[in-house]
Amino acid sequence: MRRKSLPEIYSIEVNGTKDIETTDTETSGKGDGKGKWKKERLRNHKDKQKELKKDLDLDDHKLSTKELEEKYGTNIIQGLTSRRASEILAQNGPNVLTPPKETPEIIKFLKQMVGGFSSLLWAGAVLCFIAYLIEFSKDKSASMDNFCLGVVLIVVVILTGIFAYYQEAKSTNIIASFTKMIPRKAFVIRDGEKREIPAEQLVVGDIVEIKGGDQIPADIRILASQGCKVDNSSLSGESEPQSRSCDLTHENPLETKNIGFYSTTCLEGTATGMVINTGDRTIIGRIALLTSSLGHEKTPIAIEIEHFVHIVAGVAVSIGIVFFIIAICMKYRVLDAVIFLIGIILANVPEGLVAAVTVSLSLTAKRMAKKNCLVKNLEAVETLGSTSVICSDKTGTLTQNRMTVAHLWFDNQVYQADTSEDQKDQVFDQSSATWASLSKIVTLCNRAEFAPSQESVPIMKKIVMGDASETALLKFSEVIIGDVMERRKRNRKVAEIPFNSINKFQLSIHETEDPDDKHFLLVMKGTPERILEKCSTIMMRGQEQPLDESTAEAFQTAYMELGSLGERVLGFCHLYLPEDEFPDTYSFDVESMNFPTSDLCFVGLISLIDPPRSTVPDAVMKCRSAGIKVIMVTGDHPITAKAIARSVGIISANSETVDDIAKRLNIPVEQVNKREAKAAVVSGMELREMSPEELDELLTYHSEIVFARTSPQQKLIIVEGCQRQDAVVAVTGDGVNDSPALKKANIGIAMGCAGSDAAKNAADMVLLDDNFASIVTGIEEGRLIFDNLKKIIAFTLTKNIAELIPFLIFIIAGVPLPIGTMAILFIDLGTDIIPSVALAYEKAESDIMNRKPRHKKKDRLVNSHLALYSYLQIGILQSVGGFFAFFTVYAVQGFKPDRLLYLRPLWENDNLNDLEDSYGQEWTKYQRKYLEWTGYTSYFVAVMVQQIADVIIRRTRINSIFQQGLFRNKVIWVGIASQIIIATILSCGFGSVPVLNFTTLRVQYWFVAVPYAIVIWLYDEFRKLLVRRYPGSWWDKNMYY
Amino acid sequence: MAALQEKKTCSQRMEEFRHYCWNPDTGQMLGRTLSKWVWISLYYVAFYVVMSGLFALAIYTLMWTIDPYTPDYQDQLKSPGVTLRPDVYGERGLQIFYNVSDNTSWKDLTQTLHTFLSAYSPEAQEENINCSSGQYFIQKEFHAPNHTKFSCKFTADMLQNCSGLTDHNFGFEEGKPCFIIKMNRIVNFLPSNNNTAPRVDCTFLEKDHKDFKPLEVDYYPSNGTFSLHYFPYYGKKAQPHYSNPLVAAKFLNIPKNKEVIIVCKIIAENVSFDNPHDPYEGKVEFKLKIQK
Repeated sequence: MRRKSLPEIYSIEVNGTKDIETTDTETSGKGDGKGKWKKERLRNHKDKQKELKKDLDLDDHKLSTKELEEKYGTNIIQGLTSRRASEILAQNGPNVLTPPKETPEIIKFLKQMVGGFSSLLWAGAVLCFIAYLIEFSKDKSASMDNFCLGVVLIVVVILTGIFAYYQEAKSTNIIASFTKMIPRKAFVIRDGEKREIPAEQLVVGDIVEIKGGDQIPADIRILASQGCKVDNSSLSGESEPQSRSCDLTHENPLETKNIGFYSTTCLEGTATGMVINTGDRTIIGRIALLTSSLGHEKTPIAIEIEHFVHIVAGVAVSIGIVFFIIAICMKYRVLDAVIFLIGIILANVPEGLVAAVTVSLSLTAKRMAKKNCLVKNLEAVETLGSTSVICSDKTGTLTQNRMTVAHLWFDNQVYQADTSEDQKDQVFDQSSATWASLSKIVTLCNRAEFAPSQESVPIMKKIVMGDASETALLKFSEVIIGDVMERRKRNRKVAEIPFNSINKFQLSIHETEDPDDKHFLLVMKGTPERILEKCSTIMMRGQEQPLDESTAEAFQTAYMELGSLGERVLGFCHLYLPEDEFPDTYSFDVESMNFPTSDLCFVGLISLIDPPRSTVPDAVMKCRSAGIKVIMVTGDHPITAKAIARSVGIISANSETVDDIAKRLNIPVEQVNKREAKAAVVSGMELREMSPEELDELLTYHSEIVFARTSPQQKLIIVEGCQRQDAVVAVTGDGVNDSPALKKANIGIAMGCAGSDAAKNAADMVLLDDNFASIVTGIEEGRLIFDNLKKIIAFTLTKNIAELIPFLIFIIAGVPLPIGTMAILFIDLGTDIIPSVALAYEKAESDIMNRKPRHKKKDRLVNSHLALYSYLQIGILQSVGGFFAFFTVYAVQGFKPDRLLYLRPLWENDNLNDLEDSYGQEWTKYQRKYLEWTGYTSYFVAVMVQQIADVIIRRTRINSIFQQGLFRNKVIWVGIASQIIIATILSCGFGSVPVLNFTTLRVQYWFVAVPYAIVIWLYDEFRKLLVRRYPGSWWDKNMYY
Repeated sequence: MAALQEKKTCSQRMEEFRHYCWNPDTGQMLGRTLSKWVWISLYYVAFYVVMSGLFALAIYTLMWTIDPYTPDYQDQLKSPGVTLRPDVYGERGLQIFYNVSDNTSWKDLTQTLHTFLSAYSPEAQEENINCSSGQYFIQKEFHAPNHTKFSCKFTADMLQNCSGLTDHNFGFEEGKPCFIIKMNRIVNFLPSNNNTAPRVDCTFLEKDHKDFKPLEVDYYPSNGTFSLHYFPYYGKKAQPHYSNPLVAAKFLNIPKNKEVIIVCKIIAENVSFDNPHDPYEGKVEFKLKIQK
């Protein structure tokens, strides 16, 4: 059954081969030299693919020992000869996983250095050096300003590059965890003798011995086994130990019991096996290859930032070139034009943004870690927020991952048990005498025991030795009756038949606790139909009644009802053995069964389920209102899956599946219009039959989907299907086999407790508490950070215009340069950094979980509204404020605005030392230069003051700042303080540092731009007011970003 | 997998761009319909009109608050700059090189002086009054015509041998050239707090010319002083006809065929000449090379 699914696991690879094959025939048709070479390479590739395919047809489990010996040229008793072994080793290579080709660290580092804005800054730096060189070649004493600027630019690029590299280096390598799983030594029989060799030297055909505690050193075919059990959870997700024997139990190599898989652990027993696959050809090796061959999807935020870089770079380069041409046309020297170009690029590039974004993301990541979401890849923080589909595991994520008593049936009535995490509120009627009998059976017919010395541990957290159902029953009775162990002691067990798959019941015989009562009590539990067969009476309110038609029917109804809830139902019965036949000296023999096992008294049913975590239904509701589709993907039965899906709300109460509709209307399933059903439960088998188009259709038309009985590898297909719908997909998983899907997903979420290392490594995020509800809080944080990043970018972009306009006015109107490049850098990397990071602390404006997830291609981080509003409205306002400060400083010192227009040729003339101002005073070059620096500083301060207003208005996009609370985000005030302090230090302390060109300002200059700051604030309040008042209006459409 | 690929071909991109520029289905150009473009443009026009108005108002207010006669602050003008005529600049600062025997090499220099001094002809100075007090010419009121203040006459003839009237060639021909030194105007600036007039003092730059004889200079007016009655300057609006007092220095013993550096300082209490950043504050340095 699952065997067929296997080729699908590697469907990508196989399809890939097909593509290659077609190109192959095409190129060979042309038959030129180049084609030949290509063919050669393709053939190699094809060989590899073939090999992979051959391995897929694994049939070793079906072969007899003889055939195996022949196939691998080995001998079961003698093993391989050392020579043969070394030959094979030379041919197949060592038994290790090939690590993926790693990009050298230096390349990774260099990539950070040239990505994004860095290339623009490099261009700026190179232009600086060229400008300096030209000047230097003309005049040996040329000013070092350009040179210094170039150096500063390079330093900025390298620092941001190092920062980004450091962040990336933190994300870990996938293969590392696979490597860690490799066992070190193996016991092998070679040349007829047993020896211990490093596991790397194992070859196909080797006979190996494993024992409890070992990791299986390669894929092996079991030849002999003594009670061998393995833990396959990392491979298949099955958490229960699987027994291994030499019998073929299943067609599918993954299911059959006579194959042991590389890297799984042998829990108990011993086994001897023949190595059938080594290294990369093992199942785990192939998953590792598949995982590392899957490229990670670019994270949405990376795409957004790239989009943003494109916009900004486009603006910078086009404005730069336009003004370069204008400058040339205005007869500026080419050198000057180049310097203008540098200034324009510098003004346009938000140097500090990358750092601010990274810091904001890591702050959010920290906050999420507190909420049990450990984020490995910073960008994943936002990805989670844009998630539109969650493919969730059932076991452990949605459920508590422990069997719990859900329902009881006795006295012809179904009672509900409390399935919450602590099970404190058991409300069913415990007064009935039937319950007394039932509880006795539950307590006694149970082999599970609490591990010793756990007195202080709450019952639900105590460690129990025993299987899942027995544990559930033990804890259940411990909660209700208390002190089970003591009761068991009082009712001494005299005989016992443990549960086995042939009997399908468990039986034990006890003495009664009343010392005068010499009866023996026989208690039995098992599958309900089996138990009912053995009964002739049924207990009703403590009285035995004959089991007639109607009671049997009532039993059937209850059994079906509980079964339809996806619960595991157990039947319970007992019998007081007659004292005369079984005196207290009677010796019970479980082999010969010298006691009655029929005509018992049926007492009741208890059904068990792995109940949903109590927080999950709420979280699913939240997802639903947040427009996120929750898809359950589980290996469990459709019925159980559907029941859990219903109870957590993945299938909502009033929606129906096709089957439900068919049942309701009493028509065959085929006649139901599939579109009518909101919900769908799809089994792995159905999924396998589906074409991608059908899957697409399924995903589009059903809003509530449960995939049951899926092989975990089918997750990958589901993920790809969702991604074809342009969805941002989050996938949860814990097993090794989940790692391809985790990696393929836009955000892979691994389970922190249950998850394997491979899953954790492939994932972008680790849920420390394995709780679905944590994902929802993560989504909330992710959405918040997206909003806040928008605010950060709007804040950062605004002042770019205020930095750019001076250059344009300088070129066109010939005024002295209002702001220098150094001051621009100090705004971008100095005063603006902390406020922009502070915006990351902003609280949500409204309930962000009540809106749809953003559309990957429509709701951009930077949209035209944001850019226009920042650039052409607030940015222009800021420039006006800056220019007013600039003109004020010049005017009060003697140069009135009219004098400044087209003064540039004279102003910058080094040989003019008696330039007249508006008052007839004459200025030397240096006196003018110093005034120019004062102008820079005052413009810088004006921008800083208006950026304070900007950071305040950017805190909200729609609410008034007063609705948001003026002091709710205290970090903003820290940011504003930092702006003022940095500006003060620069202005007061760095006046004398050459190249920086800051001067100490008169106090009143600091307040020149304040009215403009107030205007900015008022204007934005006005904008927000109209947006709030008239939603959907022209204003809303054009002014809301 | 193919559906997931973000990469588009160039033609697809072009097509998308064309579609963006003109979308025939919705009648949108660049993402907006024509009427929407009109509306948004109107809004921006209105926005910018208001903003320009605001800016104009601010500048108007600024101009209104500013004193038309004196600048509010003179933070950079604590000490006046000094300039030299003729002013020919080389790679590094002033440098006057000429050949005595080649009159084309100095014709331009004397021409510069003639042009410069044309502003000091009696006709040009007609509006100004004669002063001889040698004291600060403090004027609190606007007694001059058109609500202005009086300025003192400074005519070229006060420079005697360097006036260009007697020696048309300013001594360049004979290798004893005249240079005119001008102190920059600063409103309300008083060179000294007592009654000593600022004086020009020209020397060879010491560190370079230890082996030379000290520079011999004839200053005109005599003593090389700027008479105090030219101070203070009340600004362009109050003294529209004000012209800077000048001092001419005639260098008598310039070694021939040798580059010398000469520095002319203004000696006065309120004039400093030791600002390391500003080479023209309170002094002027220049290279001189006379070839024969």
